[in-house]
Amino acid sequence: MRLVAAALLAALTPIVGWAEDTPWAEKTHALGVFDSPPAGLQSGDQLDRLLDLGEALFAAPFTTLDGAGRPRATQAILPTKTKRPLRSAFARTSGPDANSCASCHNQPVLGGAGDFTMNVFVSEGFNNHDFDTTDPEFSNERGTNHLFGAGLIELLAREISFDLIELRRDALSQARASNAPIVTTLTSKGISFGTLTAHPSGIVDLGDISGVDADLVVRPFTQKGVVESLRQFSINAMNHHHGMQASERFGARWTGEADFDEDGINDELSGGDISALVAWQATLPAPRIWAPDSPQWQSAAAKGQTNFTAFGCATCHKMALPLNSMIFTDPSPFDGAGTLRASETADPMQIDLAQLPWAQNLVRNAQGQVMVPLFGDLKRHKMTDAEVATLGNELFSQRFVGRDTFMTAELWGVGSTAPYGHRNDLTTLDEIIRAHGGDARASRDAYIAASKSNQQEIIAYLKTLRISEVD
Amino acid sequence: MQSMSKTALASAALIATTAAADTPFTGDVPLYQEQAIEAGIDHHYTGGFEFFVGGGAASFDCNDDRLPDLFLAGGQNSAKLYINHSTTGGALAFVAGEIPTLTDVTGAYPINLDNDEHMDLIALRLGENIALRGLGGCRFETANKHFALDGGRDWTTGFSAIWEAGAQFPTLAFGNYIDRDAAGSPWGTCADNQLIRPQSDAADFSASTPLSPGYCSLSTMFTDWNNRGAFDLRITNDRQYHRGGQEQMWSLSGGGAPRLFTNRDGWQKLVIWGMGIAQTDLTGDGKPEYALSSMGDTMLQSLDAERDGDQPRYRDIAFDRGTTAHRPYTGGEVVPSTGWHTHFADFNNDARSDLFIAKGNVEAMPDFAKFDPDNLLLGDWRGQFSEQGAQAGIALDRRGRGAVVTDFNADGMLDLLVVNRDAPASLFRNLGVESADGHAPMGNFLAIELDNGAINPQAVGAKIVVKTGNLTQTHTVQIGGGHASGQIGFVHFGLGVAPRARVQIKWPDGKTSQFMRVFANNFIRIERDNPEPKYWYPQAQN
Repeated sequence: MRLVAAALLAALTPIVGWAEDTPWAEKTHALGVFDSPPAGLQSGDQLDRLLDLGEALFAAPFTTLDGAGRPRATQAILPTKTKRPLRSAFARTSGPDANSCASCHNQPVLGGAGDFTMNVFVSEGFNNHDFDTTDPEFSNERGTNHLFGAGLIELLAREISFDLIELRRDALSQARASNAPIVTTLTSKGISFGTLTAHPSGIVDLGDISGVDADLVVRPFTQKGVVESLRQFSINAMNHHHGMQASERFGARWTGEADFDEDGINDELSGGDISALVAWQATLPAPRIWAPDSPQWQSAAAKGQTNFTAFGCATCHKMALPLNSMIFTDPSPFDGAGTLRASETADPMQIDLAQLPWAQNLVRNAQGQVMVPLFGDLKRHKMTDAEVATLGNELFSQRFVGRDTFMTAELWGVGSTAPYGHRNDLTTLDEIIRAHGGDARASRDAYIAASKSNQQEIIAYLKTLRISEVD
Repeated sequence: MQSMSKTALASAALIATTAAADTPFTGDVPLYQEQAIEAGIDHHYTGGFEFFVGGGAASFDCNDDRLPDLFLAGGQNSAKLYINHSTTGGALAFVAGEIPTLTDVTGAYPINLDNDEHMDLIALRLGENIALRGLGGCRFETANKHFALDGGRDWTTGFSAIWEAGAQFPTLAFGNYIDRDAAGSPWGTCADNQLIRPQSDAADFSASTPLSPGYCSLSTMFTDWNNRGAFDLRITNDRQYHRGGQEQMWSLSGGGAPRLFTNRDGWQKLVIWGMGIAQTDLTGDGKPEYALSSMGDTMLQSLDAERDGDQPRYRDIAFDRGTTAHRPYTGGEVVPSTGWHTHFADFNNDARSDLFIAKGNVEAMPDFAKFDPDNLLLGDWRGQFSEQGAQAGIALDRRGRGAVVTDFNADGMLDLLVVNRDAPASLFRNLGVESADGHAPMGNFLAIELDNGAINPQAVGAKIVVKTGNLTQTHTVQIGGGHASGQIGFVHFGLGVAPRARVQIKWPDGKTSQFMRVFANNFIRIERDNPEPKYWYPQAQN
């Protein structure tokens, strides 16, 4: 854990423009230290400074002097004005609902998950944006996910997206060359995303794709899998939860205003601020499989690992996926307008995750690929059916994803982040396993049909999937 | 009391407008690079008095690659066909195609007259108008006889078409200018316009109805002005030559005999040097606003909120919105300018309508600007428009006439072709916003192609609704308007920072689709009765 508060003040004083500010000023001194996003491959020293800054911003309790609050803007990801001033500066329902990122992402440590009390209420923010009820008629209630290994997750998603897009490109080339439709199976890293049909005219029929959006971009973040990058997520969350608005989306370029939320503070988050937040999240250690001291636990976990596969859990919760490159670049190649785009930077920031201490523990396969132990498939699945509908408790689809469909939860770190389920309302692993319906029904049924000891072995195994800094 | 309120409102409006004018435009200004010659387009629109007007272009796909090809009017020069060979996201490139030799062409509109798989063309002429039947592969044949179309002998400068309710084939409207053979010509001798309804069972356009009186029209447009699903015919007229005339709108009376809207209907007399018509829905009420180009000012008409019932009574909001464009914005001449083609589109992909106006002196009228650059009025967050033609790089010293606004190289940014009188046609490639490292993309975009099926396959008259957040954009697929220029193909929408959009189609027969969910920065094909949109990928991008 980086301890930055006082140290950062001293370290950053020579390079910032707030020297005239008092050290006790009620504002976040880390804001605006970098006005522009860092460029190029970050050296060790550069990265250290960037991560210090990112952690400071992640932990900072933002104040009105920073720009916290959005009296005339809604939580929507598109800049949207409220029809009238918000009734209160904070609201646990519609937001702003938190002083800092860390106030929710803190289980078991900074950057981690959140308890049920840290749930957030997700709405599109266009209509009824100031709802003051937890009634699911107005929002989807969601637990706080941990962010450990997030950089690897985004890199995996990018590589899969590139693979799928390449398959589409090849199919279209073949169709144009042969003047006949070409049906292509969309498979990447062993994961099937269905099929598409490419026509000689350049038209692509996407009716049979599965678990991925029509543009074949894997969006790995949020429980619905609707956000493609840490950068986009950070900008969304900063506005939603804190009323801190990033200039690259809420600034004058897109809204005509430097103070879109009308709280008296212009340009609240610079491109450099967002880059620091992204860097810090992207470099959080990958959770790993913990080796318990207890021989009994070790034995149970080993059996549980076997049954995890035998019951079919690993069909979606794939234990590891191969990653070709550990170079994390920001911006993402898949972000669109309103989030800094790769095409808008001459020299995007690069971070070599392989150089980080925690990365030394990652296993590589015979091809030299890093096997990322995420226990997921970065794909969306239907999670309810007529008999098992515990997870079907939402009323809204979110950004085109149906109410009964969710991204496979990555299980790495699950041993450190109870409670469970997208609403964080299931207190045990046994409960969440039993709640699996829809596409996961067969695995759930196999678990239920298993002996009590086999079930406990699965739990023993899952409990070893921990966030590294616990031990 | 009421009077005081109006005064107060007027004062407030003036202050607001002044403030708007003083507020710098903070959005993206697209950088345009003129590259007609490099792209293979070397074309002049020339001729004597009869070709002071006209100078149109048609944009459409004639070889099924979904890239827009071009047909350019030449006046006394031959009209030309240019086939698009641009690379995706790359340099613009055209190759001259083969067409029947046609001189005296003033303008052109693409249209599928017979509902087949090939687009046809209507070439407007000084003299007989010509239907060019598409044969595929960018081959055409003259086809007036095939379509039983009497091209007449008028001086035609306007055209519009619509599939009326229940019709298999389109209704055509030809807008005519001066009757050169009438005594006293050209003053007060305006030719009648023509309405041609098809036979019920064939692409036979032999039945013509005069729309009299004509007032020397320069642009016509079928338009669903009150969003009731029926189209009437709007005509803009040139006061220079008519006597006692005015702007016109004909009611088509649901397929019945055409009837002029009059003062009794709420239509108010307006006399301008009407040159071009464009429509878009700026207010989000489903009812279009109209930009009418003229000499000295540009009208921006919106239905008057205080009108009685469903009257076609309009209020000019050009001053309020900043679109008067009444004199050149650069060059120093403080004299009126002369507007021609008008076109609403989102040139910078910020999800706001922008307005292009081709400008240029009629010939050498001393009271009007000599250097009269084309306008690029960019819409902003508040609904105001800001002139950015100079910054965008389109302020050339050429006399603009007709134009086409489309994405020639499938990069998601609208390019621009302008036909100029006695000067080379201008082809502006949109490079995106200028950045420290060259150019960068602007906002997100969406391009939508419709397939209405066997009748009216290009879905002329359909209304496309695109929703992002609380913003609703609408576009009606039209053939007509502008100045002697028409286009058909992908309909372009800027989405700003929205990563996705919901799209709904109101098909020409009034049937409304479900909302479809599509991702930004894609070309979408929506087929009637298919709830799943398809995606199209250009050659190199895939």
